[in-house]
Amino acid sequence: MAEHHSEFDWEAVERSPEFRELVNKKKAFIIPGTIFFLAWYFGFIILAGYAPDFMGREFITDGLTIGYVLALSQFVMTWVLGWMYLRKSDKVFDPLAARAREAATGAAAPQAEAPATQQRFRRGELADEPATTDEEASRR
Amino acid sequence: MNTYLASVNETALATFAVVVGVTLVITYWASKRVSTATDFWAAGRGLTGPQNGFAIAGDYMSAASFLGIAGLIFLFGFDGFLYSVGFLVAFLTVLFLLAERMRNSGKFTIADVLTYRLKQRPARTAAALGTLSVAGFYLIAQMVGAGVLIEGLVGIDFWLAVVLTGAFMIIYIVAGGMLATSWVQIIKAFLLMSAAIVMTIWVLSRIGWNPLDLFRDARGQSAEGENYLKPGLFLATPLDTISLGLGLVLGTAGLPHILMRFFTVPNAKAARGSVMWAMVLIGGFYVMTTALGFGARAILGKGGEEAAGPTGNNALPTLANELGGELFLAIIAGVAFATILAVVAGLVISASGAVAHDVWSNVVRQGRDSEREEVWVAKIAAVSIGAIAIGIAIIGGEGLNVSFMVGLAFAVAASANFPALLLALTWRRFNTAGAVTGVLFGVISSIALVVISPTVWPGPDSEGGALSWYSLANPGIISIPLGFIGCWLGTVLTTEPSAVAKFDELYVRSETGLGAEAGTGLTLTGRHGGGRAAATATTTMIPRL
Repeated sequence: MAEHHSEFDWEAVERSPEFRELVNKKKAFIIPGTIFFLAWYFGFIILAGYAPDFMGREFITDGLTIGYVLALSQFVMTWVLGWMYLRKSDKVFDPLAARAREAATGAAAPQAEAPATQQRFRRGELADEPATTDEEASRR
Repeated sequence: MNTYLASVNETALATFAVVVGVTLVITYWASKRVSTATDFWAAGRGLTGPQNGFAIAGDYMSAASFLGIAGLIFLFGFDGFLYSVGFLVAFLTVLFLLAERMRNSGKFTIADVLTYRLKQRPARTAAALGTLSVAGFYLIAQMVGAGVLIEGLVGIDFWLAVVLTGAFMIIYIVAGGMLATSWVQIIKAFLLMSAAIVMTIWVLSRIGWNPLDLFRDARGQSAEGENYLKPGLFLATPLDTISLGLGLVLGTAGLPHILMRFFTVPNAKAARGSVMWAMVLIGGFYVMTTALGFGARAILGKGGEEAAGPTGNNALPTLANELGGELFLAIIAGVAFATILAVVAGLVISASGAVAHDVWSNVVRQGRDSEREEVWVAKIAAVSIGAIAIGIAIIGGEGLNVSFMVGLAFAVAASANFPALLLALTWRRFNTAGAVTGVLFGVISSIALVVISPTVWPGPDSEGGALSWYSLANPGIISIPLGFIGCWLGTVLTTEPSAVAKFDELYVRSETGLGAEAGTGLTLTGRHGGGRAAATATTTMIPRL
């Protein structure tokens, strides 16, 4: 059974600017990335299904077909997107996640009174931003 | 049966014995280190990213990848390679959408993630149903495949081959849990990659080092001529091709034995690193299927078709025999055996998790059992599931049509497990009723559509179904949307404030790792592929993540 940690104020973390920045930046990478790889892959599959003659056409040299080159491009795409995601995670997502965790553990500890207040203040501030409220509303 | 195959008996048996010997030594080593439930199901969360990457590759690439794809390319050219592409691209779905989130929010099984904010009993039961369906279909396909393969390569009886495969798989799990299973998979991945590299180089040397000659010679050696390099020889209906693609790309992200592997690493960083390692290994392997499949056609030609058999599964062993004679054939047979063992062990440990951790511990005993009891039940479950799989494989026999079963496993994974998991992690409104209806829609529609598909209906060896209005062999294009619709429908028809209220917790935890399960630090640091060299226990505690 999953252990539930009541020591953290999850709702506050969810609304903290650190966390919002993390998930917004993640979405800005993952959503276009997913759309791109699905489009590239299904473009290939649809061509294979409906345009076999085009896929069998010679590409540059005898023996090499457009279909095989497109198939190889799928491998390259997978590796490149995977590598880009790892790099982005190391450089951007992980530091942001660490800051969000710090904000949460800081808010939970009694001696960290100041950051906690700041937290609540920021939360109120954020609620006035139309972009955030729209997004919150769409998720609820 | 092929004449040369009978004569390799002893050499092949020797390579099998080496595989069994090495894996049993690892199991013995692992058995000394596995005590808690976390050790048993998650190898103490002590695997490194590269180790888990090798293990994922070993867990994922079945005999269907090794022998099946090479055989499909040998017989049908380009269409076989479509499978290679789909099997790899699928890992982007895993990496972008699930790997790290699973690691951060789960414990042992995919049901842990699903029930994080949903009602324990119904959601667990649904998740266990999804897991057991996928693992069950996949397992039976692998066991029958193992029997046919070993019978053909070594010459022992089908039933004996099935019993031996099942017995070793049970020993790994009962004695060494996930730790032994992981290392069997790591070694298998190492063997499989090595075999593929050696064969690729050998094939290229045969055809004069120009990879393009693979296609030119293969085309020349096929009765289909130009069409051999075009799609459409195997997958004749375009809609079916798309449906297959959909099932492959989303199905991998719902395979319980693959997702379970993310619980074996200490943190999210290692989880995503392991996917990258797996993508490099699996992608590298599937690129090499070009040389294995087209190479088999180029070198064996039309004359090889009889030896390759109707499914083409024997094309690669025949090629190995042609290249390096009996000894090389025996080595390839040993690698194929290791391949099957690693996959079935992964499947059974995920199924045992569904039975012991989900159904027994959380649904029946409702968390009142001890960890010790849970591990005992898991071992009993592993033995029972193994025995049932052996029984079905033997009763069904070699004639059992298993070609549709792997496809069915992927379809259920894509239509039932994937939608429920993804929505549990990302959709605030999602609730228990949504998960249950989604899983039921996905499981039932996948199975029903496969039953009425031309490959199954109206009975054994059916050629073109009795149902003229339905001709899809792959149900994905219908069953996956149905799975999502089920999730949506169940959710909007009910309200569950507690599930909505706990979304923040799951969301923050899955994205940041705050409060995530830590490793027990019991296992190992070591070099992948070596096995014995890695036997140093460490006490590295994972920083609080």
